[in-house]
Amino acid sequence: MAGLKDQYAIVGIGETEYSRDSGRTTRAMGVEAVRSAMRDAGLGPDEVDGMLSYHGNDSTASPTIATDLGIRLNFYMDCSGGGSSTEALIGIACGVIEAGMCKTVAIFRSMNGYTEARIGGTGRQAPAFRSGALQQGIYGMSSAAQSFAPSFMRHMYEYGTTSEQLAHVKVAHSKHASNNPKAFYKERVSVQDVLASRWIVKPLHLLDCCVETDNSTAIIVTSVERARDMAQSPAYIMGVAGRTSKPSVGYHWRSGPISRVAGHYARPIVFGTAGIGVDDIDVTGSYDAFSFTTMLQLEAYGFCAEGEGGDYVSSGIIELGGDRPNNTSGGHLCEAYTHGMNLVIENVRQLRGKIDDYCPNWQDGEHTYDYSEGGCRQVRDAEITMNLGWAMPATGSALIMRR
Amino acid sequence: MAEYLGLTVDIPANDPDHIEYLQGAGEGRLVLQRCSDCNLLRYPPGPACPYCQSLEREWEEVSGRGTIYSYEIVTQAINPAYRELVPYAVVLVELDEQRGVPDEHEALRVISSLVDGDGAPEAEENVAIGARVEAEFADLGDGLGLPRFRLSDETPEHELWQFPS
Repeated sequence: MAGLKDQYAIVGIGETEYSRDSGRTTRAMGVEAVRSAMRDAGLGPDEVDGMLSYHGNDSTASPTIATDLGIRLNFYMDCSGGGSSTEALIGIACGVIEAGMCKTVAIFRSMNGYTEARIGGTGRQAPAFRSGALQQGIYGMSSAAQSFAPSFMRHMYEYGTTSEQLAHVKVAHSKHASNNPKAFYKERVSVQDVLASRWIVKPLHLLDCCVETDNSTAIIVTSVERARDMAQSPAYIMGVAGRTSKPSVGYHWRSGPISRVAGHYARPIVFGTAGIGVDDIDVTGSYDAFSFTTMLQLEAYGFCAEGEGGDYVSSGIIELGGDRPNNTSGGHLCEAYTHGMNLVIENVRQLRGKIDDYCPNWQDGEHTYDYSEGGCRQVRDAEITMNLGWAMPATGSALIMRR
Repeated sequence: MAEYLGLTVDIPANDPDHIEYLQGAGEGRLVLQRCSDCNLLRYPPGPACPYCQSLEREWEEVSGRGTIYSYEIVTQAINPAYRELVPYAVVLVELDEQRGVPDEHEALRVISSLVDGDGAPEAEENVAIGARVEAEFADLGDGLGLPRFRLSDETPEHELWQFPS
């Protein structure tokens, strides 16, 4: 999309409460999130004519949400997928608008990720071992944490990366969440808190793992011509890479280095389109399903050298007040688990200068820049943000936006 | 019906790639597919050669020897069948055959269980990157087996490395 740089923008964002007891259907939540994003953009039902969603058989599809909201669609598609879908679908939205198929696309994800379909399974069912389980599942490797842990362990072996270094990711994101009224976990934690939390699968402690929540989130994409007439200042899309894969994507152990993640391949695509480099990025949103996923992606995209991620994430750079804060909402580790959507939504707010923190006049874009607990989380003069989306070590997406 | 840890192992008749792999293990042999055209072994089993896209292949027994390339220690089981077995190690074994082929990053790497002489999970203090292992086979019934690994008495390939916990 080299020719499409700055031609499309995110103009609306919406979300439900982030909770562990929604008490509602994914349909009701999806309707609220899309409606909220439409109102954010100042769009009526006759001004949204495209819809995209992603799911793992745990959502409500676009035709139902559109019907509930009185929207007639010229394009819709409901994709199978979890993490790293957000950025990919934003790219698809640009593509279908460019193709003339529709004019404005609402993207949503709706999931009762705690009360209904928990990632990795609820443990209630005991299915048979079928063909697809013979490479991993039959050996007791089934959840995301279990599937990724050997890659994380190998990084520690190859580079001397430590649990203490990784704990700084949770420390930073919890600091950010303490300034986010919406965050599910608002309490600040210490490195020692992370190291003292119980093991899930070594090398992952409980606090290296993200929260599970019920929520829906929505993002509206349109062309810059239309964006100029809308209620909010647009977040311009400079570049996007979608579901880039490593070799042997279905079984990435075959092709090493196994601690190198798919961002290695997305990096030239997204930076090439945007025409900028890592030094131009003010804020990152590196997917934090686990503390390690944030670190490995920051390495893969070149924010630090391969193997130096442990030093990078423990240096203070990724904290508010540091040179390049990551996941200023608290991300998946603290705010909520949304399969990536809240990390993009947060960066849109950063670019608008209207982060919804505890500053009294945040809605007018007035911030204190005091990052102490219960304070501000707006990054001063945030001009360019980057999202690093993760599905697994072998698949990732990326998005660069500017104000 | 074949079973493992009390759960049915249900491989459909139209999936010979996996049935023949488990049949080999049922005979106490670790068998891999070798491409009839480019002559490379591959794992996991599948309908095509990822290196030359050939659909022709033969089964070949390999040594079953290898080195632990990485691992994890599961302390919270997800699958109920594993709930009584925690903590248990899942290992990524790099087999001796075809290392660094067709390029330096490629190898025959196998996810598996590391078990002791009784087939129970190997003690955590014995699990290490660099440790040498050899295949052993769990009986699934119906003539099928499941490859697993146990520590061998060979000299480690390099200094052992363990997660410092």
